Amino acid sequence: MEISWIQAALLGFFACLSSMPGMGGTVLGNYTLGRPLVGGLVCGIILGDVQTGILVGAAMQVLYIALVTPGGTVSADVRAVSYIGIPLTMIAVKSMGIDAGSAEGLALATSFGSMVGTLGTVLFYGTSTINLAWQHIGWQAVEKGDFKKLYVVDMVLPWISHLICSFIPTLIMCKMGAPMVELIKTYLPMDGLAMQTLFTVGSLLPAVGVAILLKQVVTKALDFVPFFFGFALSAGMGLNLIGAAIVGGMFAIVNYKIQMVQVEAKKHAVTASVEDEEEDI
Amino acid sequence: MEKKLSKKTLNKSFKNWYYGHLTCFSQEHMQTFGYLCSMLPIIEELYETKEQQMDALKTYTAFFNTEPQVGSLVVGITAGLEEAKASGVEDIDGETINGLRAGLMGPLAGIGDSLVVGTLIPILLGVAMGLSTGGSPLGAIFYIVVWNVLMTFGMRFLYYKGYELGGKAVDFLVGEQATAIRESIVMLGTIVIGAVAASWINVKTSFSMTAAGAEKPFLVLQDTLDSVFPNILSAGTVVLCWYLLSKKKISPIVVMLILVVIAFVGVLTGFFNTGLAY
Repeated sequence: MEISWIQAALLGFFACLSSMPGMGGTVLGNYTLGRPLVGGLVCGIILGDVQTGILVGAAMQVLYIALVTPGGTVSADVRAVSYIGIPLTMIAVKSMGIDAGSAEGLALATSFGSMVGTLGTVLFYGTSTINLAWQHIGWQAVEKGDFKKLYVVDMVLPWISHLICSFIPTLIMCKMGAPMVELIKTYLPMDGLAMQTLFTVGSLLPAVGVAILLKQVVTKALDFVPFFFGFALSAGMGLNLIGAAIVGGMFAIVNYKIQMVQVEAKKHAVTASVEDEEEDI
Repeated sequence: MEKKLSKKTLNKSFKNWYYGHLTCFSQEHMQTFGYLCSMLPIIEELYETKEQQMDALKTYTAFFNTEPQVGSLVVGITAGLEEAKASGVEDIDGETINGLRAGLMGPLAGIGDSLVVGTLIPILLGVAMGLSTGGSPLGAIFYIVVWNVLMTFGMRFLYYKGYELGGKAVDFLVGEQATAIRESIVMLGTIVIGAVAASWINVKTSFSMTAAGAEKPFLVLQDTLDSVFPNILSAGTVVLCWYLLSKKKISPIVVMLILVVIAFVGVLTGFFNTGLAY
C-alpha cells in the first residue's frame, strides 16, 4: 500500500485542523476530527479503505478515550495519533497481512498509536512556541488600537505554525512510512522478542487510557463499583456497548431521582423550621 | 445612559469564541487572544471613541484559560457586565470584571474537564465504538453529528444564559440540582467506561503447565482465570495502572514504560505469547 503526495498532503491538512491548538477550533477540530475514531474514517476515505481505517482508529481510540489536557499540558498529541499513526498502521497491517479487526491488529494499532502520540507532543510544544511570535504581534496591535489585526493574529497567522509543525511532519512521515514498514518487516521478525513485546505492550496499553479516566472518578475503593458493574455487564453478561449505556442510563436516572428527593426534603425542612420560628414570635 | 447590545453583535462575539478560543494558543497566554477576539465586537459597539475602546479592551488582556465549552458561560457573563459598565452602572469596573473572570476560570475548568472531556466524550465515543464494530463508519458519523450538535447548541445556550443572568448564572452550574445531574452523568460515564474496558482490552496469558509425558496440559492458566471472572487480567491491568497513576502519582508516559518492561519480562518467561509469525 502506497501513499501518494496528494493523499499525504490531504492528511497533513487534516492534521492542521485537528490538533490542540488546531485550526478547526476545538469543537469541530480537536474534539471531532482529532478523535482517532473520526480520524480513522477520514484516513480511510483519503486512502480508499474505510473499513481498515475505522478498525485501526477504533483500536487507538481506547487508549485516548480520556484525553484531558488540564492547564494545557498534553501527554499525547492527537494530530500525530490520528493523521500519522493511523495511516502508518493501515500500511503496516496490510503489508504484514494481519487482520485489522483481530486482537493482533488491535495490539499493533495501540502500540503504534502510543509511540506516535508520545513523540507527537514535540509538535504540540512546537506549535504553541511559534504562536508566541504571533501573540507578540497581537500585543503591539492592542497597544496601537489596531483592532482588526487581532483577528489575523488569532485566526490566520497560526496557520503558519501549523504549516511547520503539522503539515510538513505529517506529509513527510506518511510518505516515508511505507518503506519504513518494509524495513521493520525485514529486520524484526514477528515471532522475535522485539515484535512479541511490541504486540504484548499493545494489548496492555488501552488499560492506561481507561485508568487515566478512572483517576478522575475513583478516589476510594467503593468508587470502583460502577466501573466493575459496567465491566461485568459486558464481560460477564455479554451486553454490547449500547446495551450497557442503556442499563447505565437507567441507574443514572434512579440516582438523580434519589438525590433530588434529598434536595427537596432539605428544602422542606428549612421552610418548616422557618415557619416554626414565626409561630413562636 | 442605558446601552443595549444588538443580537447581531452578541452572535458575532459568540461565534468568535466558538471557533477562535484556542486557535492562537501558547503556553504563556492560552485563551487570552480568543477572549480578546470575542469581546472585540462588543466593545466596538458599546464605546464610541478609540480611546474608550482601547481602555475597555485592556480588561481582557489578562491571562485566561478554562475548559472552553463550559467556559462559554464566562464569556457571556462578561458580555453582560461590560454592557452594564458602559451603561454607567455603579460598582462595575474593569477590576470587578477581571476578578470574576479569574475567580470562575478555575472552578469551571474543573467542571468542564470532568463533565465534558472526562464523561460526555467517553460516553459518546463508547457508544460510537460499539456502532463501528467490524469497521462500519456508522459510529464515527454518529459521534460527529451528536457531539457537534450538542456542543453548538450547548455552548450557545451557556453563552446567552451567562449574558442574561450575569453573576447569578454560576448557580446554574453549581446549584444542588446541577450537582445531582452531574453526579448521575458521571455514574453513567463510569459504567460505560467499564463496558468499554471489558470489550476493548484484551490481556491474555499463554501460560500452561504440562505433566511429563502427558499430551494435554493440566493447567491452562487463561481458562482457569476465565472461570473465575471473564477477562479478569484486563480488569487487573486497569486497576494496576490506576494504582500507579493516582496512588503512586506516576505520569502516564512512565506508566506506559513500566508496561513495556512487564511485557518484555512476560514474553521472556512465556507468560505472554501472541503466537504470530509472518
